[in-house]
Amino acid sequence: MSDSARPNPRISRRDMVRATAGGLIGALTGSRALRAAPAFVRRVGSDADSILLGVSAAFSGPSRSLGIELYRGAMSYFSHINENGGVNGRRIELKVYDDGYQPDPCVENTLRLIREDQVFLLFGYVGTPTVTRALPVLKKFQDERAYLLFPFTGAQPQREPPYGEFAFNLRASYRQETAQLVDRFVEVDRPRIGMFYQADAYGRSGWAGVRGQLATHDLNMVAEATYTRGTRFTGSMRRQVEILMDAEPDAVICVGSYAACAALVRDAVDMGLRVPFANLSFVGSESLLQLLTDDMENSEAYTSLLVNSQVVPSYEDASTPAVLEYRDLMQRYDPPPPEELLTEPYDTLARSFVSFEGFLNAKMMTEILGRLDGEPDRSGLEDAVFSVSNYDIGIGSLVSFGPNRRQGLQTVYHTVVDDGRFVPLLDWGEKFGQ
Amino acid sequence: MSTSRAKLLFQLATGTGSGKFRIQKLFRLTRFGIFAVFGLIVLSTSSLTIYTVDTQLSEEYATNARNISSTIASASVDILLNQNLSSLQALIDQFIEVEGISYVYITDENGEFLAHTFVPGIPEEIRTGDHSYHDPVERTLSGMREDQTGDFIEVGSPILAGYGGTVHVGTNLQLVNQKVTRAIGQQVWLVCIILFVGIFASIFFVNLAARPLAELLAYAVELARGQAEDPHADGTDGTGSAPIDREFPGDSVLARDDEVGTLARLFLHFRRLTQQPGQ
Repeated sequence: MSDSARPNPRISRRDMVRATAGGLIGALTGSRALRAAPAFVRRVGSDADSILLGVSAAFSGPSRSLGIELYRGAMSYFSHINENGGVNGRRIELKVYDDGYQPDPCVENTLRLIREDQVFLLFGYVGTPTVTRALPVLKKFQDERAYLLFPFTGAQPQREPPYGEFAFNLRASYRQETAQLVDRFVEVDRPRIGMFYQADAYGRSGWAGVRGQLATHDLNMVAEATYTRGTRFTGSMRRQVEILMDAEPDAVICVGSYAACAALVRDAVDMGLRVPFANLSFVGSESLLQLLTDDMENSEAYTSLLVNSQVVPSYEDASTPAVLEYRDLMQRYDPPPPEELLTEPYDTLARSFVSFEGFLNAKMMTEILGRLDGEPDRSGLEDAVFSVSNYDIGIGSLVSFGPNRRQGLQTVYHTVVDDGRFVPLLDWGEKFGQ
Repeated sequence: MSTSRAKLLFQLATGTGSGKFRIQKLFRLTRFGIFAVFGLIVLSTSSLTIYTVDTQLSEEYATNARNISSTIASASVDILLNQNLSSLQALIDQFIEVEGISYVYITDENGEFLAHTFVPGIPEEIRTGDHSYHDPVERTLSGMREDQTGDFIEVGSPILAGYGGTVHVGTNLQLVNQKVTRAIGQQVWLVCIILFVGIFASIFFVNLAARPLAELLAYAVELARGQAEDPHADGTDGTGSAPIDREFPGDSVLARDDEVGTLARLFLHFRRLTQQPGQ
């Protein structure tokens, strides 16, 4: 069902630079010639029996849990669909590559998926620094209409010009997540907000969201500390904690990976900084929780200060139809990670926000593929996506797309740790008021 | 090369000929002159090399930094106007991979930071400094990530003539100095090798020139002491036209067709004159 492989060494660095630079220049110059639709678009990525989707995500490195769980969630739904006859008689298959959450391998994988594997669509990418660099490739090959659907990132580049037209998003944006976090903290009288973020496009996206929302309250960020992408939980964050402590923040918003954010919370609590630590949906809540509880003496202190923003409802909420379906299919199929891509043993999570998002992505993807008339053709994709209006995906929020609406869902949820698991946060004042 | 030939070459090169007499005083000044000239060449060449390499490499890194900052400034206009800061960050993150570039940051027209690559945070010196300059500035940063700690030279390029902000690019001076030192070391090493080869070759040729003189000297001294027998006492002119039936130390000198041979024959001629009765 899925085909996975390492990045192709035949794609040269020059190809990557050409594709990225070409797309970037085309985007910056806004060339109408480059935007012109071709008279003929080849039918690629599908045949009478199957539709091939291309995936580049982190299956190795400190953020591998995100790629693996997103993939598993998607595969639980695709397995169910394929077992029941597929989409209009076609099975959905995935071509999967590992980028380790690094931009250059992601660009390389994207080139390979488009040029060599001839996938129908790109699907389920993970991360802002990776997706941000892959977008110019889509611009470069826009004549082939290679769209990216439902990347696991809430950053702005794939939601705005010049690259927004090449992607469709399902989840709410980081801007929406950070705006709600800032608003809630200000409401509970915690206006002195500090930031801890990854020193790259992902961190900057969250930083820009926090900065912009603070400005609406006539506030400024009181401190900001950064870390290098790829930092592991064993790394020290004491310097970052010192920077934050000097500003005496009321709350810290973290825009990072679970390993680095867990390391920050650990060192901050150990050094006496006891304020709420808010994380965005990308963090991978269960992996974060696992690091802060497994073999940790002070786990209660570490986890009691966490408040995580989510873009899907809690998978513990049995009143939500999509949650019941997700739990049933995850249990029935228990999709394994792509073994060929694993560089070290990995213990899968029975359920997680990330795999639930992957499940919803797959469900929406299936719905859109089903709306393609006749033979699957990329040229008809936009119309198929734009035909989705107030679609009930089963989480209470309706999905709508349109020419000026390339993001299907707008809802943000907040969760805190209770009894060793993330549950919905119902009362901000009670939990974090001062 | 035969053993005897190699031995001869060694003797010539080191001036340790087998003859009793060695031309020491005459060539002492020559050898000293060779050393002095070569030393002067090495010193002047090395100094010029150090200056040139240091200047050119430092300038090259500074130029790279200027080019990168102006490239970012040009490319970031649309991104800035769209307030797409994550794309701006992705743009500068690509340039941080260029060797020698340690940090990049972009400030808006009010000096507020829009994107940067500092870890674990913006250094205090930079946070509180003036960001509107465009001339190179030297900075010393501490407490930063390893590649962002130390001495730096920073250049700035205006975005939209400064109305859009300024791009700043920091180059690691330690890395530049390491590169300069390595390049100079390679140049000086080459010059030193050339120096030693040159000196060795000079001594070789001086000794080559000195050997016939030493033989002439030895012949003249033996002639003066009367130890050398006259091989041509039979009345021949000593040019080899008469048969020589025994080996004589001065034969090789007398047989030479150069100035040394002429001198040797003159010495022999004078000796004959002084030996004639009544002289």
